[in-house]
Formats: sequence, C-alpha cells, structure tokens
Amino acid sequence: MSRFLLLAYESPVAFTELSPEEAQSLLQRYIAWTERLRAGGHLLDSNKLKDGAGRAVRREGSEVVVRDGPYAETKEVIGGYWLIETRDYDGAVALARDCPHVDYAHLVIRQIDEL
Amino acid sequence: MSSEGGAPVRGLVEHLFRRQWSRLVAALTAMLGPDRLDLAEEVVQDAIVRALETWPHRGVPDDPAAWLARAARNRAIDVLRRENSLQGKLAAWDPDAPPPARAPHMDDELAMIFLCCHPALSRGARVALTLKTVGGFGITEIARAFLAEPDAIAQRLVRAKRILRESGAELTPPDPDALRERLDSVHDVLYLMFNEGYQAASGNALVRAELCTEAIRLGELIAANPVTASAEGDALLALMYLQASRLAARMDVDGAPLLLDEQDRSLWDRAMIAHGLRILERSARDDRVTRFHLEAGIAACHAGAPRFEETDWARIEDLYMQLQALNDSSVVALNRAVAIGMTRGTACALTFLDRYADDPAMQRYVLYHATIGELLRRGNEPERAAEAFRRALDLPASEPERAFLRRRLAACDQLRETP
Repeated sequence: MSRFLLLAYESPVAFTELSPEEAQSLLQRYIAWTERLRAGGHLLDSNKLKDGAGRAVRREGSEVVVRDGPYAETKEVIGGYWLIETRDYDGAVALARDCPHVDYAHLVIRQIDEL
Repeated sequence: MSSEGGAPVRGLVEHLFRRQWSRLVAALTAMLGPDRLDLAEEVVQDAIVRALETWPHRGVPDDPAAWLARAARNRAIDVLRRENSLQGKLAAWDPDAPPPARAPHMDDELAMIFLCCHPALSRGARVALTLKTVGGFGITEIARAFLAEPDAIAQRLVRAKRILRESGAELTPPDPDALRERLDSVHDVLYLMFNEGYQAASGNALVRAELCTEAIRLGELIAANPVTASAEGDALLALMYLQASRLAARMDVDGAPLLLDEQDRSLWDRAMIAHGLRILERSARDDRVTRFHLEAGIAACHAGAPRFEETDWARIEDLYMQLQALNDSSVVALNRAVAIGMTRGTACALTFLDRYADDPAMQRYVLYHATIGELLRRGNEPERAAEAFRRALDLPASEPERAFLRRRLAACDQLRETP
C-alpha cells in the first residue's frame, strides 16, 4: 500500500455563485465522498488550511525574508488536503475522480515517497 | 439531492442553508439597516462558502446554525472594520452579545417579508426579492421558475434594492394604517409565488414545488403572528393547502398536466386537505368575503368530491359568479363557463362565452379556445371542437399545453371518422 496526498486547489469564485440549496447539495456530495473513502479504509487524514494566513520564507542574500501569503484571491492556492492510502496512482486517481471538488476547481495527487 | 449525495448526513437537515440564509439575512439587516441588505447577503453567502470548505474535512458541527451565525457575524465585523463610515455602528455592536432586541411585534424574518413587499416596488420585483431574501432561493433558481434569464433576474434584484435604499424603507413593522395596505401586497406576493409554482405547465417541476412550499411557509409565519394574522390571510393559506394537496396528482408520468377528471384522487394529500379545511373554517371569522375566501371555497368543493362526478358544480358556479363580480379576469370567466357547462349544459356555457367573441384579449388567449373546444367536444360537436383546438394551437403555448391540445385534437378527429 502507498500513501497519497490529494491537494485541493481553490478556485476563488467557484462557490460564491451557488444558491444555498445548491451549496447544501454539494456539501452533501463532499461528505458522502469522504465517507466512502473512510468506509473503504483509504482515509488517513484530512484538513482544511486556514485562508490567507500563510507565510513564505526564503533566504535573499544574507537574510531570511518572510512574506505573508499566499492569499485566497490569487490562483493556485491549496485550500485543504486529504491523505489517503491505496495501492498505486491508478487507485488514487480512481478515488479522486468522484470527488466533487473536481467539478469546481482541481485536485493534484502526489505520492508520499516512502524511501 | 439525495440521489447524488447518498445517505442523509447527520446534522444536515433538509433546507438547512436556505432556512439559515433567511434567518441570518433578516437578523443582519435588522442590525445594519435595509440600506445594507447587500452586505447582509454577502456575509451570509460567505458563511455558507466557509461551511462548504470546512465541513467536508471536519464534519458537520454539533450546532450548524450557530456555526453559520458566527461565521457570518465575524465576516460582517471584518468588512465593517475596513469601512471607516461604519465604525460607529461597529463600536456599538458586541458580536458575542445575544441577537439584538427584535422589532416589538414582529420577528426579523416577518419584517423582511414586509420590506420586500414595499409599495415602491413593482409586483415582479416584490416576488423576486421575497424569494431571494426571505426564501433563500438563488438567482438561477428564480430564473428557472419564472422562465427568465438569470441576468434579467439579477438586474431586477439590483434595481429593487436600489429603490429600497432610495425610498428610505425601514425594517420596522408598518404602523396599523399602513399595515392593512402592506398586508394586501404581502398576500398578493404569496399568491403569485404559489401560483407560479402551481402552474405545472412549464419550468422546472422541482423548483416549482418548492415555490409552493415556501409560499405556504411564509403564509404560516404571517398567520402565526397576531399583528399580521387576518381572515383574508387565513383564506389564502387555506387555498394554498387545498391546491397543494393535489400537487402529486397533477401530472402524468411524462410530466403532462392532468385535468381534474383525469387525476387519480387517491394521490391527493388527505392530511393537507383536512388542514386546509380547518384553516378555511377559521377564516370565516368576520363577514368580509375576499377573493381568497371564494377561491378557497372552490378548491374545497373539488377536494371534498370523492369522484369527479360527485363534484358540487352548482356551488362552484355560484362561487365563480361571486368571484367574477369581485375580481374579474379571463381565467375566472373561463372557469365559470366550465362550471356552467357542468350544471346547465355545454350549450349554456357556450352562450355565456359568446359575450367574449369580440374581446381581442380573450381571442388571443389559448385557454379561451381550449375551453370552447372542450365544451364543444363534451357537447358532441367534434368538428367544431377540432376547429377550436386548432385555433388554440395557432397561439403561443408551453410544450406540455401543446401536447395536451394535440391529444384533444386527435381525439376529435377520431370521433369524426367513426361517428
């Protein structure tokens, strides 16, 4: 068995146009999908990351510079993740395919290097 | 919803987001003033988006309504902090304090209904705004129900909110004199909302049924408050229950509308009928007979007939006659003709309709020709009936209506060939 990280990239506008009823129906799909992962013994961990509170840390010359961000308004922000366990990439893709997140934004799958 | 989402999720009751939308938008508008209705909607939408981002990971919180309220309140504080203009308002507002005192005789949600039915707005704007703000319907859902473009609905809402701002409308209950007039507007909006949902002929069936449910919910809110309750409002509520009892029986499996004589009466909701009749009885508490009393009376006649043949048509004809005197319209006139046809024969009904032979509006009305066709068909004049149905088919109508007319036309043609 291998471990995979499903990184949920946010789309800044994807959810804002939903009506309350549509939002609830989508939430129901997310939770049902998570329950299926859990029931199949795939789900190891899952978290939402705090919005707009990141720090970018890097050395510039002689000093380490810390910048705020990334912000949710910009593209390519990871909003949350699921850590799952399955046999291989094909298995991980098969599980990710049904995640409602792919209808609104996108998921990136990375395998944990166990070596 | 459930077919996509699988098993129901614990804590996630049906329409949770929509109900909380309504409650929170009303509470925030009460705090910030109707001129900040946009802000109230924005922060509640934001709270729902946050729930959508958080709950898939953490599960539904123990008290989802309180979670949403906190999220909306925190977001409102953030936004207000950035606006210097509202610093004063913010300073006076303790986010951890219980919700502020409500309007003396009306809760926030009820006051919102009255705000949305403000006389400065057109009827169409009142309905759209009530659905959006109090009903928690989305713009696309409203557009689907009214067969309109979402952009047109969005613009109508923007305009309506601007008019409210400019007219200085307040979220306080109108004074007793104005209440009477405003109540008429509220009843009118609920009636429109319900009928929009009840006309099964077009639009998305699911959304339409929800319009009926919402109109009934708001009708119940109004009836439950001693300040806003009235005999007229009760009659409207009774009418809506009695009509809604037939919702499940009104369409065949293909979604085509079924007439009263074609419906499977075992599908009528008996509990709803009983409830409607109780409210109708309650509505007869003063001498005033309104159009809603008459329409509910007619609906009660249908609901009380175990078989189509046992319908009390004499009483229905009498009620339609009173209704026409009180509130004349093409639909009322045609329904009266149908009732006359059932009591005194189709020839009498056709004679009654003769008075509209030179009425240009009636001549352009699909139902006028369809009704004449139906009366002639029952009167055993298939040739002239077919002619009327053809004339109806020449006029614009929804696809289910056209299907119905074609079916009738085919039946007439068949009758003609095999006399």
